[in-house]
Amino acid sequence: MALGESVPMLDSVARVTGAIEYMVNLRLPNMLVGKVLRSQSPHAKLLNINATNAINVPGVVAILTGADLGPNPFYGAMIKDQAVIAVDRVRYVGEPIAAIAAESLDAAEEAALLIDVEYEDLPPVFDAQEAIQAGAPALHDEFPNNIFKHGKLRHGDMQAAFAEADEIFEDTFTSPVAQQAALEPHVAAAQWEGERLTVWTAAQAPFMIRKVLSEIFEIPPESVRVIVPPVGGAYGGKGHIRIEPFVAAMARKTNGRPVKFTLARAEEFVTVIKHAASITLKTGIKRDGTFTARQVTMYWNGGAYADASPGLVTAGVVRSVGPYRIPAVHVDSYGIYTNLPPAGAFRGAMSSQTTWAYESQMDIIARKIGWDPLEFRLKNLLRSGEHFATGEELHDVHFVECLAAAAKALKLKEPEARRKWKTGTGYGVMMKSTVAVSRSQVRLKLAEDGTVTLYTSTVEMGQGAHTTMAQITAETLGLPLKAIKIVGPDTAVTPFDTTTSASRSTSMMGNAVIAACGSMKKRLLELSAPLLETPPEELRTENGSIVADESSMSFEDVLKRNHIQELEETGEYSTSVGVDPETGQGVSTPHWHQGAGAAEVQVDPETGRVSILRYSAVSFAGRVVNPRLAQLQNDGNVIFGLGPTLMEEIIYDGGQATNPNLADYAIPSIRDIPVEIISTCIESGEGEMHGIGEMTLPPVAPAVANAIEDAIGVRIKDLPITPEKVLRALKEKNSG
Amino acid sequence: MNPIKFLEPTDLPEAIALLSQHADDAKLLAGGTSVVLMLQQRLIAPSVLISLGRIPSYDYMRLEEDGLHIGALSRIRDLERSEMIRKFSPALAHTFHVVANVRVRNQATLGGNLSAADYAADPPAMLTALDAHLRVQGPAGMREIPLRDFFLGFYVTVLEPEEILTEVIIPSLPSSARAAYHKYTSISAEGRPCVAVGAVADFQPDGTCADLRVAIGAAVETPQRLKAVEAMATGQVLSDELIAAIAEAYAKGLDPLADVRGTAWYRREMIRVFVKRALQEVRDGAR
Repeated sequence: MALGESVPMLDSVARVTGAIEYMVNLRLPNMLVGKVLRSQSPHAKLLNINATNAINVPGVVAILTGADLGPNPFYGAMIKDQAVIAVDRVRYVGEPIAAIAAESLDAAEEAALLIDVEYEDLPPVFDAQEAIQAGAPALHDEFPNNIFKHGKLRHGDMQAAFAEADEIFEDTFTSPVAQQAALEPHVAAAQWEGERLTVWTAAQAPFMIRKVLSEIFEIPPESVRVIVPPVGGAYGGKGHIRIEPFVAAMARKTNGRPVKFTLARAEEFVTVIKHAASITLKTGIKRDGTFTARQVTMYWNGGAYADASPGLVTAGVVRSVGPYRIPAVHVDSYGIYTNLPPAGAFRGAMSSQTTWAYESQMDIIARKIGWDPLEFRLKNLLRSGEHFATGEELHDVHFVECLAAAAKALKLKEPEARRKWKTGTGYGVMMKSTVAVSRSQVRLKLAEDGTVTLYTSTVEMGQGAHTTMAQITAETLGLPLKAIKIVGPDTAVTPFDTTTSASRSTSMMGNAVIAACGSMKKRLLELSAPLLETPPEELRTENGSIVADESSMSFEDVLKRNHIQELEETGEYSTSVGVDPETGQGVSTPHWHQGAGAAEVQVDPETGRVSILRYSAVSFAGRVVNPRLAQLQNDGNVIFGLGPTLMEEIIYDGGQATNPNLADYAIPSIRDIPVEIISTCIESGEGEMHGIGEMTLPPVAPAVANAIEDAIGVRIKDLPITPEKVLRALKEKNSG
Repeated sequence: MNPIKFLEPTDLPEAIALLSQHADDAKLLAGGTSVVLMLQQRLIAPSVLISLGRIPSYDYMRLEEDGLHIGALSRIRDLERSEMIRKFSPALAHTFHVVANVRVRNQATLGGNLSAADYAADPPAMLTALDAHLRVQGPAGMREIPLRDFFLGFYVTVLEPEEILTEVIIPSLPSSARAAYHKYTSISAEGRPCVAVGAVADFQPDGTCADLRVAIGAAVETPQRLKAVEAMATGQVLSDELIAAIAEAYAKGLDPLADVRGTAWYRREMIRVFVKRALQEVRDGAR
């Protein structure tokens, strides 16, 4: 039974000792190093770039600027609005203006200092709601009001539904810009051999990168090879094509020599950020504690280029409603250009911002109408068989179980002596869609020595996905874990997979693995049946052998006796659902991600400092593949989520980040995490495997804010919940 | 861009000679936790780095008649763990214990910490309250500087370009004295202080306060003591009312700065809170 066992992550020792071959360690023969010259202006016309002195620096091999690009330098997976490297105009501080390939980083850096850039400043706009006002500077001519995406949901008669309400609540909740802050930065290398391009990159979606690069360079996808070594953390920040275009374009100028770019920490802060969001919820409630209507209006700060945002802003629509029974729902989700770096997915994408809003408002409503916040949720949570605002019927949903388990775990323990200040308890539940249209393929090879190799494009980025796939293979095929090797991702070797994101791999790739293993097993049974003189349906696999009632034969021998050198099978799993873009009606997700949290906090009333005493994190897992890794995902979500909840915010001055380093931009340290995290995974009879990489993250912020109100009676609506905000609110409450 | 020249003198006179030779182009490197960060962020661009790593015998702790002598190249981690310092002043050992995190403490030196004159540091406030003074070596020999005169402003000290801080001397406390250090972090618990308070009080046998010193760091450009406010305690019992009055006077009497760790308003509030807590601690015992 490999499935359900807490086997250690396959590469855990290598990760801890540093033996693992991360991208940052990659050395290719004859390799050059790259350096980027970045815009110092948030919005400007580029009048002139003079690299004459820079190219003469000893050791500099080539310099790339917009002048090197062809007539159509723009790319984008969804909106082609971004130049491979700036052409004519820059739209954020940090936008790449030139790239340098050199024999050494010193030479590249010296060259960067010698490139003269002449700007003509244009008026910038940094706030999404300011950017859509009349007269605001337009970033892209095609989008004069700066709105590049408007996602919608229309369900029910809002006017009538609000008229039925006894109370209407309207609240706005904001989340600031943050950074994914993976331990490993963005790092990529590229090499051209004639018209064939190879890219090595730490990224989550190799096939998407291959597709966009083939479009940029107008070569067939098969001429682009994307290789992804084990990644040192991504958190959504590597979920899209980011530095690969200019890295590949730079390599085109080096006569076939590979060139590698490793971003510095400060560059990470201008490469991808979390969408700042302002979310207004207008909610109608009846005296009996039921909902009549909810209107959601969301402004997402997408930064200077659309990047992954059109898809994310759309996905944000169904993620904004909340897992509650609400007869009438309207959602408007606006993706907006501003002069900040492009925003992308941030673990718990969009749900972190939306759950912050809807779960905070749940407590505001409950307290106002005199309900216990836990009871109010349990009464209104959606159950299987009910319909969501998209019109789709819900299957296998366990919101009630998740929340009840989260609450119960906190109630189990007696109060302890570490409570020094006033304490409070708060809850949060979340409902998140996964990728609507996606596909995972896998190739399985049984070698003559009996070992099985799994070729998968699922990216191992520390989440343990490769271990999970090995366990599923071992279980389905009936062989020991140690007989399984994982290869990938490498688009020349491993088959297609949409992306390693949205917690989809365990479910999507897992099911592809099950399919491939099923085919492989069937072949093995057929091949061994004559040898074991038993019909295939009476055979089973166990520990690397085909077993009949009284005899057995190893996989190895089955191949040998049939004169087969190796056996190959493929597996595929895909989903294709969707909603109407105007009404948001349809089926939005193959299944729902579900999670809940309960926080017990204490607040120092003199400083406003919040500490989390205990946190109970519950995810719906369907079926747990590896309990230990599942617990670490739950715990990791909570710790990761405490960052944006309590401390993370990029602070800008004129579009320039003032804290782009991990001394001034703090992420939770070991001393910031809860004294105790209680992790629970809910399984169901149906046994469908769900991903759990994000489920317990979005509830963290509202659970903490709700616990703070429970403790000291103040409501914070703007993240992060800094001690200063809490103290101000407390003083206002006490004076008013 | 010429590569930075890396020099490793093996004794102090050689280091001073190299400093004199390279003057403003040189930067001293002790533990490197501050200098390397500044180099990486391009905040400084020296052409010469003079490492003190090969100079022996400046990482000592000695108890002498006039007090505790700490060699400037002592690692913060060694000071934090030193039995001698824990006995000498538990509050001082605690101050070293709360500097950054263990990775930094293993590397950073006390001399480097003080010479960097980073306002958001822990040791300066406590050492100011303890009335420490410094020994500095230069081409003309040794001079002593009271710590209260050492810091001139953000990242600036009275050290001449060719001088090296070699020793920190902390006067012995009478057995009737107690000290406390309170570091308040407003973001991550491992972050730099938002407000730092070092307090030292000596008590008469009748329990009244004979002498009080309170230094505020991190919220102000250089560590600040308000002597007129300290004097409020002389001859008095440290009642809750008196502590509140002193805390209020510190909050009102200083002009706090604003940065990512807090606005000036918040800093003022926190000065009041942590002066109070530090004084309660020196009154009630503990460290």
